[in-house]
Amino acid sequence: MADDTTPSPIFTRRRFLGSAAGLSGLVLAGCDVADMGDLTPPTKRGGLVGIADKLTMASQRLLMAHQPLVQEHDPRDIVQDFPTWGQTNPRDEEYQRLLAGEFDEWRLEVGGLVNAPVSISLPQLQSMKRRTQITAHICEQGWSAIAEWTGTPLMDVLAAAGGLKPEARFVAVSSFDGWYECYDLFDVVHPQTILAYGLNGRDLPRGNGAPVRLRVERHCGYKQLKFVKSIEAVATVEEVGRGNGGINADWGFHWYAGA
Amino acid sequence: MTDQVSPPVVRRSLLVRICHWINLIAVGYLLVSGVHIFLDFPELYLGKTGFRGYPAVFRLEDIGISWDQAGQWGDRRWGRNYHFTFAWVFVLNGLVYVTWSLYRRHFRAMLPGTKPPVSRAITDDAASVAAAHRYRTPQGIAYLTMIFFVTPLMFLTGLAQMPAFTAIAPWLIDMFGGRQTARTIHMIATVAVVGFALVHVGQVIATGFFSNMRGMITGRLRTREE
Repeated sequence: MADDTTPSPIFTRRRFLGSAAGLSGLVLAGCDVADMGDLTPPTKRGGLVGIADKLTMASQRLLMAHQPLVQEHDPRDIVQDFPTWGQTNPRDEEYQRLLAGEFDEWRLEVGGLVNAPVSISLPQLQSMKRRTQITAHICEQGWSAIAEWTGTPLMDVLAAAGGLKPEARFVAVSSFDGWYECYDLFDVVHPQTILAYGLNGRDLPRGNGAPVRLRVERHCGYKQLKFVKSIEAVATVEEVGRGNGGINADWGFHWYAGA
Repeated sequence: MTDQVSPPVVRRSLLVRICHWINLIAVGYLLVSGVHIFLDFPELYLGKTGFRGYPAVFRLEDIGISWDQAGQWGDRRWGRNYHFTFAWVFVLNGLVYVTWSLYRRHFRAMLPGTKPPVSRAITDDAASVAAAHRYRTPQGIAYLTMIFFVTPLMFLTGLAQMPAFTAIAPWLIDMFGGRQTARTIHMIATVAVVGFALVHVGQVIATGFFSNMRGMITGRLRTREE
């Protein structure tokens, strides 16, 4: 496995900017727009809805320039019977085969615009840097539930693939239930963005996306892809799905799901 | 007391009139889109957690509308797109109105115990004039409550439900005692807004629909010298 303690240069600079901004409090002064990435969604919608998309993402991203963590809750707040919603058992043949084998043969393919594409087994992922966080899962429908997630920061997985090439702007995640979503680097570098394999101290149950699901805590539930199959760094979202930045945006939902 | 009814003169600024009609459109869209979003998940909870099967404080099922039926009526994709769009229209328009009104000291006339600079009789009927005076104080309080309490409450309970915004301001969740409580307060405030709107429209009709509409469209109101 690649050395995950030495992040690629692009991440080093971003990490430095993120922590420096947080410490100084000079959030906007210390962070120019280039370091923030795009302030508007890659999905271009017209009319008032399109204007609101831009206003929402730009205002929230500027207020989050210091990369705040979402609230982490007390263990008492954990919901033991965390709800399952949407797909709970992908019909995909390959998924069913891997499930039968208890994911021994599951491999996370990390490719695209990374320096050293890699395929990572579940034990390998679990041996990497670990982060456990008790956070609220916030569904866009209105429900929310608090759980403890354990996983590997997405940054560390990308570092294991040699880091991103300079032209990479988004990370596209695909799942066994046919979902795909793109995340920009602002979310990718966030410490709470993890590939979670544990829920409330146990292996991630099938209904919640076994063996691995994504946690992107500053977004609604529909960006938290379950049944993760592969991740691919891309320069634009146009090559993914119908080109709107993810399956939800292809369906006409917001790409930026900070709300 | 002289009782001369003047010809209609422009007494309501163009800005206030534009803001009023933009506000009507924005509130209309927010209400309809909000109902769509709610119908897609028609239960309310208190605290930090709430999901189907968790103890609810309100369930649409309990008043005879099944989850499936509500889901068929509610289009949350349309609802979310337009709710967040018109939330911007509502907030920006509201900021223009409040800033202008503070500058023009418009709100002062709504405070209890203040005498209007000019009595604005809505009709020529003396009884209506008396009624208009009698209801001035409760009406002023109602408007001020809507503008300075219910609207900010709506705004903050809305933000408290947003995953990104609560990363920026986690105290918002604690302030309301949990994300689900914030959502429930958002719905209670909706009922208050609907109640306010119904009374408001009722008053507009009861006190002379056409002259009121003329007042809010052209700004021309009849005034009565006191």
